[in-house]
Amino acid sequence: MSLALILNLAWHVGTLALVALGLAIIFGKLRIMNMAHGEFVMIGAYSPVITSSMGLPAWLQLPVCLLTVGLVALVVERAVVCRLYGRMFDSLLATWGISILLREAIELIFGRGYQSVSLPIPGTIQILGSGYPAYRIAIIACIALGFALLAWWNSRSMVATRIKAMVENPGLAQAVGIDTGRLSRWAFVFGCCTAGLAGLALAPTIRIEPMMGLDYLIKSFFALVVGGLGSLEGLGLGAGIIAGTQSLIGAAFNQTYGYLAVLSLSILFLWLKPDGIHSASR
Amino acid sequence: MTLNFAKLFACAALPLALASAPAAADIKIGVLVPDSGPGGLFGPSTRNSAMLAAERINRGGGINGEQIELVFADVGVPPAEAAQAALRLWKGEGVDAFVGMHDSAVREALLGRFSGQVPYVYTPVYEGNSCAPGLYITGETPSQQLAPVIPFVMEKESVSKWYLIGHDYNWPRDTNALAKQYIAGAGGEVVGEEYVPFTVAEFDSSLQRIRESGADAVLITLVGGGSVGFNVSFASFGMDRQAIRLGTLIEENTLAGIGSENANRLYSSAGYFASIQTEAAAAFAADYSAAFGSDAPALNGLGQSAYEGLMLLAALANKAGSLDVQALDEAAEGTAWSTPRGDNVLRGRHMAQTIYLADGTGGAFTIVEAFESVPSSEACPS
Repeated sequence: MSLALILNLAWHVGTLALVALGLAIIFGKLRIMNMAHGEFVMIGAYSPVITSSMGLPAWLQLPVCLLTVGLVALVVERAVVCRLYGRMFDSLLATWGISILLREAIELIFGRGYQSVSLPIPGTIQILGSGYPAYRIAIIACIALGFALLAWWNSRSMVATRIKAMVENPGLAQAVGIDTGRLSRWAFVFGCCTAGLAGLALAPTIRIEPMMGLDYLIKSFFALVVGGLGSLEGLGLGAGIIAGTQSLIGAAFNQTYGYLAVLSLSILFLWLKPDGIHSASR
Repeated sequence: MTLNFAKLFACAALPLALASAPAAADIKIGVLVPDSGPGGLFGPSTRNSAMLAAERINRGGGINGEQIELVFADVGVPPAEAAQAALRLWKGEGVDAFVGMHDSAVREALLGRFSGQVPYVYTPVYEGNSCAPGLYITGETPSQQLAPVIPFVMEKESVSKWYLIGHDYNWPRDTNALAKQYIAGAGGEVVGEEYVPFTVAEFDSSLQRIRESGADAVLITLVGGGSVGFNVSFASFGMDRQAIRLGTLIEENTLAGIGSENANRLYSSAGYFASIQTEAAAAFAADYSAAFGSDAPALNGLGQSAYEGLMLLAALANKAGSLDVQALDEAAEGTAWSTPRGDNVLRGRHMAQTIYLADGTGGAFTIVEAFESVPSSEACPS
């Protein structure tokens, strides 16, 4: 296995884990089947375009991303999602509608055409004789660090436990003094913001257009189906298996077989092991 | 009551009178554009180009002295629905001829419905070899885009080892089958060939294969978003130093998505670019921005092809003296006319035209070379 292949694998697993994190929180913990997940990734990817169209310097991309995605998520939660906790199928339909609305809004503002975002860290780093994009290496490192921090926080914080209590028994959770409305609101906004961050990180490496979100929703969903809902370990496993299968089979044979394997795997899991490999919430 | 009725009648009649007064159209032409679906990006520029053509035709006396009027339909939908939409225009609105900018599946569905009863001009880049009574084609075919261009690029850039990558359907496969002949003919070799499904959005393993193949030229027949994703990754891996790229469907929107930093040594071959510097092309571009504003949807080869299609229809119908399919078919061969693309001649129902090679380095196309009167080898037997 060449080094480039290992780095590609790390890149795909890392970015998929980051993209799927938001869905893991919102679908896995809050039980909202957020079909607009990909659109939050899309808005995140548009944030450099938003930043430059407002005439702001490039270093403000991150705050602009968090602010835009956070605000949209807050509005969506207050207006629609807050009425749908505990109604998974209804949430699917409602968020599907929201996803269309967000796509159309972006299309209205920026048009249907492709946008391009320049690399903040251009050039390649020579590793063992072959060049690898420096930006990707930086993002892989950031994602690894981010997930380590998240795992550390998750193991110490009471928030995850409160969310679990809230989802499993809302009435009792309220009785012991958990403000469930506030808790779900901020968990939803946090999940959407991670999706936006994923979009921002991916932006210089992908095509950017209003319809791009769908790809990311599907891939995230596959990762959660395979890995299982409700835990960081499941998310990591799912992202590793889905991105790994696509990368390795794609490299060994061709992309068609890679995608076929991912689809087959997801169907097999839905059929034989619908809770995924590592499900913490049941 | 009577007063109200009269008022109502006047109100209804006024816009009607206003609308029909200047037009007085005698010929209706159905223009089939992708307003929705994957081609939706090209809807607005296609409509604008068609409207510009209609205005030009009417100003020049119309078709056989009769003014024309355009009727649009969305064909960015599945082929069966697109055929229904065209049928509504034909049977319902009495359209006399069609000009279509859409994919090949829709074209085949339409040909089945039209069965040679109504003239139909097909305008986008396509794989060639589509022949039917009443069908006339302005779009570039692979032989036109590659036969003069591949030897030229190989000489100019001193490259010989080609890697062919495209989406997995017939246009890329047909293009590459011809490309292999031209590459061999110019003394080059093909070091790899790959087709990826539309669902794949990342190309790392393909890039790895290209790097290992030692290719110094890549022929790209990926379309739309796939082409953007591939080219962005290609440049981020520094592969633009290893190999030049040549695409046969990289137009202005795709280049904008690829971005200025990722377009180093990226060539595109087509019959039209917004940056063609000839007098006719510059005048067309000026008319376009005068009519639709400076922030109108960018001109590109696909959108502009609708203009070509209408101009062909007008030239052909004027030559034949009618819009009857049999008369058009008899008059078709050798019809000559000029457009922003250059001087065109209809040969085997396909448009022999000027082919431009453009360099996208820096994020904007610069015309490198113009090959005049390139015929299509995928035209119809006459």
